[in-house]
Amino acid sequence: MTTTLEKAAEPIADLSPAPRVRQRKARDTSVIILVTIVVIVLLLLIGYPLITLLGAAGSEKGLAALGAVFTDPGNLRIIGNTVLLGLCVGVCGTLVGFLFAYAQVRLQFRGKKALHLLAMIPIVAPPFAVATAVITLFGRNGMVTNGIFGWQADVYGLPGLVIVLTLSFFPVSYMNLKGMLESLDPSLDEAAAGLGASKLRTFFSVTLPMLVPGLAGSFLLLFVEGIADLANPLVLGGDFTVLSTRAYLAVTGEYNTAAGAAYSLVILLPAVLVFLVQRYWVSRKSVVTVTGKPTGTTELIAASSIRVPVLTLVGLLSLFIVMIYATVLVGGFVKVPGVNNEFTLDHFTFVLAGIGSKAMVDTTVLAIIAAPVGGVLGMVIAWLVVRKLGRMAGVMDFIGMLGLAVPGTVLGIGYALAYMTPTTVFGVQILPALAGGSAAFAGGLAIVMVYITRSLPSGQRSGISSLQQIHPAIEEASTSLGAGSGTTFRKVTLPLIQTALISGVTFAFARSMTTLSPIVFLTTPGTKIMTSQILAEVESGRFGNAFAYCTVLIAIVLCLILLFNVIIRKVVFRGRTHRR
Amino acid sequence: MAARTAADTSTIGLSELDEFRTDEPTGRITLRSLTKRYAGSDIAAVNAIDLEIRAGEFVTLLGPSGCGKTSTLRMIAGFEQPSDGEVRLDEFVMNTVPPNKRPMSMVFQSYALFPHLSVRENVAYGLRLKKTPEARLKEEVDTILTIMNLDAYADRAPHQLSGGQQQRVALARALVMRPKVLLFDEPLSNLDAKLRITMRNEIHRLQRRLGITSIFVTHDQDEAMTLSDRVVVMNRGRIEQIDSPDVVYRRPASVFVADFIGRANFLDASAVAMVAPGRMTVHVLGQTIEVSSHPDVTIDSKILLMIRPESVRLSPVEAPVDGADVRGDIGRVTNVMFHGDTVEYEIETASGSIIASVSDPSVSEILEPMAVVRVGLATDRGWVLPATDRD
Amino acid sequence: MKRSAFAGAALIGAAALLTGCSGAAETPTVDGEAVADTELNFICSPQEDWCQAVAAAFTAETGIQANYVRLSGGEAIARLSATGDTPEFDAWFGGGADGHIAADEARFIEHYTSPNADVIPAEYKDADGTWTGIYVGALSFCSNTDVLDQIGADAPESWQDLLDPAFKSNIAMAHPGTSGTSYQTLWTQVELNDGDEDAAMDYFSKLHSNVLQYSKSGSAPGQMAGRGEIATGIIFAQDCQKFINEGFTNLTTTFPEEGMTYEVGAVSLLKNAKHPSAAKAFIGWSLTADAQNIAPTVGTYSVPTNPDADITDDMVDLTELNLIHADIAEQGEKRAELTARFDSQVAPAPKE
Repeated sequence: MTTTLEKAAEPIADLSPAPRVRQRKARDTSVIILVTIVVIVLLLLIGYPLITLLGAAGSEKGLAALGAVFTDPGNLRIIGNTVLLGLCVGVCGTLVGFLFAYAQVRLQFRGKKALHLLAMIPIVAPPFAVATAVITLFGRNGMVTNGIFGWQADVYGLPGLVIVLTLSFFPVSYMNLKGMLESLDPSLDEAAAGLGASKLRTFFSVTLPMLVPGLAGSFLLLFVEGIADLANPLVLGGDFTVLSTRAYLAVTGEYNTAAGAAYSLVILLPAVLVFLVQRYWVSRKSVVTVTGKPTGTTELIAASSIRVPVLTLVGLLSLFIVMIYATVLVGGFVKVPGVNNEFTLDHFTFVLAGIGSKAMVDTTVLAIIAAPVGGVLGMVIAWLVVRKLGRMAGVMDFIGMLGLAVPGTVLGIGYALAYMTPTTVFGVQILPALAGGSAAFAGGLAIVMVYITRSLPSGQRSGISSLQQIHPAIEEASTSLGAGSGTTFRKVTLPLIQTALISGVTFAFARSMTTLSPIVFLTTPGTKIMTSQILAEVESGRFGNAFAYCTVLIAIVLCLILLFNVIIRKVVFRGRTHRR
Repeated sequence: MAARTAADTSTIGLSELDEFRTDEPTGRITLRSLTKRYAGSDIAAVNAIDLEIRAGEFVTLLGPSGCGKTSTLRMIAGFEQPSDGEVRLDEFVMNTVPPNKRPMSMVFQSYALFPHLSVRENVAYGLRLKKTPEARLKEEVDTILTIMNLDAYADRAPHQLSGGQQQRVALARALVMRPKVLLFDEPLSNLDAKLRITMRNEIHRLQRRLGITSIFVTHDQDEAMTLSDRVVVMNRGRIEQIDSPDVVYRRPASVFVADFIGRANFLDASAVAMVAPGRMTVHVLGQTIEVSSHPDVTIDSKILLMIRPESVRLSPVEAPVDGADVRGDIGRVTNVMFHGDTVEYEIETASGSIIASVSDPSVSEILEPMAVVRVGLATDRGWVLPATDRD
Repeated sequence: MKRSAFAGAALIGAAALLTGCSGAAETPTVDGEAVADTELNFICSPQEDWCQAVAAAFTAETGIQANYVRLSGGEAIARLSATGDTPEFDAWFGGGADGHIAADEARFIEHYTSPNADVIPAEYKDADGTWTGIYVGALSFCSNTDVLDQIGADAPESWQDLLDPAFKSNIAMAHPGTSGTSYQTLWTQVELNDGDEDAAMDYFSKLHSNVLQYSKSGSAPGQMAGRGEIATGIIFAQDCQKFINEGFTNLTTTFPEEGMTYEVGAVSLLKNAKHPSAAKAFIGWSLTADAQNIAPTVGTYSVPTNPDADITDDMVDLTELNLIHADIAEQGEKRAELTARFDSQVAPAPKE
């Protein structure tokens, strides 16, 4: 090595800049190992149960049922019911979600925080809360319908179901549309105004067309939730049978698991189809802003002609929601809600100290275990999909999302069929029985797996959108300073996506605590799950207990969500928050 | 986005343009005591400004971020409500007229093209709202598309166009409405340097031919200088100066304006005598010279002498300086920056640091750092300003 | 004492699992030998509180840790089908005998007659030891007196009374496909018509217009009546009484004078049980009067099968009723066929 200081004495070997290679394919071994692990996990979580289910549906009994599905007029009616329900819920839910989102983002009024909270409550509430409250308030002998107005309203069947499912699922639509409205370029509205359009004209000719992908996406999502829901049709369905209850009946009433699998298949296919359409066609068409960077903020609308009708509607709906949840809260404290309104603490004693306490503890413990795993797994998949995988990214993304696209009943039956007996591959046992009373951990493992499967998609989605907003250059900078993939992920990427991680874990927890459909088939002597306990209470008419359970459940979910938030912020990221 | 082709930089069809223009001069804008205070702030974003814009004039609102230029523009357009004062178009007060009823068109920084409509439909949007008959509408739209050289793209979606093309569509959409006033909200900020200059020239040509009153907001003083009939320099909600570009450049009303437009040296000087109103002799850089002065300057004022870098003359220490230039102090070159068409020198003198700019230098003329030179000022290029505390 | 594997894992929640170990326990004997099993898992079909009481009592008395899962008849069979030869459970407690018969047909039941079965009356047990009865439930009409007043009807005393147009949209029963209670109702009509299934279906077709809905759960019609949504629900008498005691004070129980069938709640031993001797001890224990006396203490008012067990005021006096003794085996066999017929003939028909 020369020690002279003469510059330009030695010619520099390569004067042209090095070609930039964007590292998209997984080259380092750690990534390959990670991908393999994730694939195996996904196989265990979703692949194997689904395949087993398909196998059962393809068995003799299953095929017989499948054949009957499309020929038997009774079954055709059920399919018609299911589709009708899905359509109604899709339309109503999107409408309500849109009203709330529009009011929140565009209108001027006080109490925006309260409205937002109100719109989010259904996410933490268990499935029966609304249904039971609706029966109590608006049933044939409902406190409102009969008590105040003297009507004999028949809330069982389609009308009741649409109301309940709309109220339960509209937060999905609300979040979707709120995000879209917030990212609309305000100068588009101003441009339209500058060209002579009134506010109403602007809304219909500019705002609404741009929201079409969001509205369509919402509709599709809610359609799927509507046709796959089991809990509410069980309670409120009356004579209105849908595919999910039919499957449930086949398994529990007719002792015909294969037929149950067959019915589940009928739900599965449209659900997956709709899901695919939503993901790959609707989101492609999304054109929120195209030109330049959005500047400025939209002025909130204060004009009465718009505020009054919208806010009135939103206000009435909010009142409705408040009434429902107030009933849930208060109902736990009266002897027989709606009939005997004497104050009592019996129901809460039952839940907190009596038979119910075990369910409370078990469910919470299992959900706590599942939530971080689900959140982290979703995040890892998101990272692999966005950063590391090339063509296979779409496939892994799809498989991960299957956990949500597959209806709960389907998943539950699949798990029961797959994991109640030891898993053998070519005669060699690779896994012991994971579900059922004689399984490892008294069957808790299967339930945790179901929880993870159901909740990782949301973490995956928020992870993906979060990562897409981080320019790859940031991670490339870390790599050029010598950090390997793992280190870069830990030190650079993770802190930037912690909000997405938190929301992923939080949602996973809420979802796990409130899920029912897959669980009905997996309860064991050693594990009691709150949602199936609530179902039992509702079915035996002990609404007081049911309400008490619901209230306790909501309280647990809210507390733990707060706790998760604090822990992840303060302990994992040591208080270093990244504010955009 | 489609790659930029030569077609992007072609000129506007001038013959069609002539057919397009209106004959009467349009829209006179008057701002009286116009004020804007935003909620939660005691400071006024726009502080009681008065401004008269003549019909057919091209006026630029120029200033740093937060000076109130955009707020002013939006109040003229009607997107913001004035806290006080009034906006007039010709003799009509516009304060209560909603933006969609004002005969003005705005071109936005982000172009704000409707992504779900084609180029043609974007341009036709306003005319449709006015319920223009279909045949007439098609004619107008076609004409403007030809003028702006967008015929080939008429049926494309906005996201399929390049930045320059999108800009043109935004312009076409505004022009087709035949507004009395054209408003521009930093429309060129999102374009790259070369394109910015091309589009700037096109806007200039357009406005000259059409004679529509235009109000242009920018923080780029190059744009302001080349486009405007008059420049309105704003700072912290107030107007510092309203004048034609050359006056603003040569006779800035304050140190702020002098510093904001172009580059300026401010030298300590001492007043010697007032020769006439606006003329005085001062002592600077070891010399006594006669220069023009700001109307507010009196013999007792504390003063600064402003001199632009291109008006600083350098010569070797011993050699006589060319022409009737002022011979001045000795200085040492501390920094040399080559700009291609000019060379800039940072020079340390006994009176402080001076920046000198020499244009079209030959290679042998370029000085090295640590060189010693004599610094002089070109005759009658200096400008005396009062030195106030805030500067 | 051995704890379940669940608690052995890091999951602390398992600690709440244990309902407590007992101190003074007697190891039971089966066939003369002491039971070596320390654990028992059973399917429990009746309501949760009874299941819990039963499990706790058995554990306390014998020292064998008893765990259960609450599954209705259909769910039980589904679970057993899923596990095949390696069931999770050792015994099945409760649920109608026809369910146990169906399980036997699917080869999940181990025939076993406990010595304690000697005292159980013949009509309440299976001769082959497939199942032994532990409680009896009679069908009844559970009516809301306020609603009856509103519609101007008296509490129904016969099946024919239910057909009265005054009851339009004011009756509820469960769906025979999902509920043993409801299938019982179906079979009663078959028995009343001397086996004429067509005539039985005919009755329900006529009843259809008065039915508000066919609920999923067997006891739901009772709570609908209690809530004032309908006038009368067709449920077991013990369920109606339970609702009354829970606070639905305007309910009243009446019985059809033509007669009704009854459900025998059974206990049985499962094939390939992991703890067969504990299961046998459990079955024997459940047939004793002491064990059966637990039921009324947790609000279960079905009639015990052991003649020495107490009959409380809440229970129905079976001697006062016109009980029809059905052939339970035949009843079980016909279930799939009849419910399918109901599904296609009666349920989908439009209501007038």
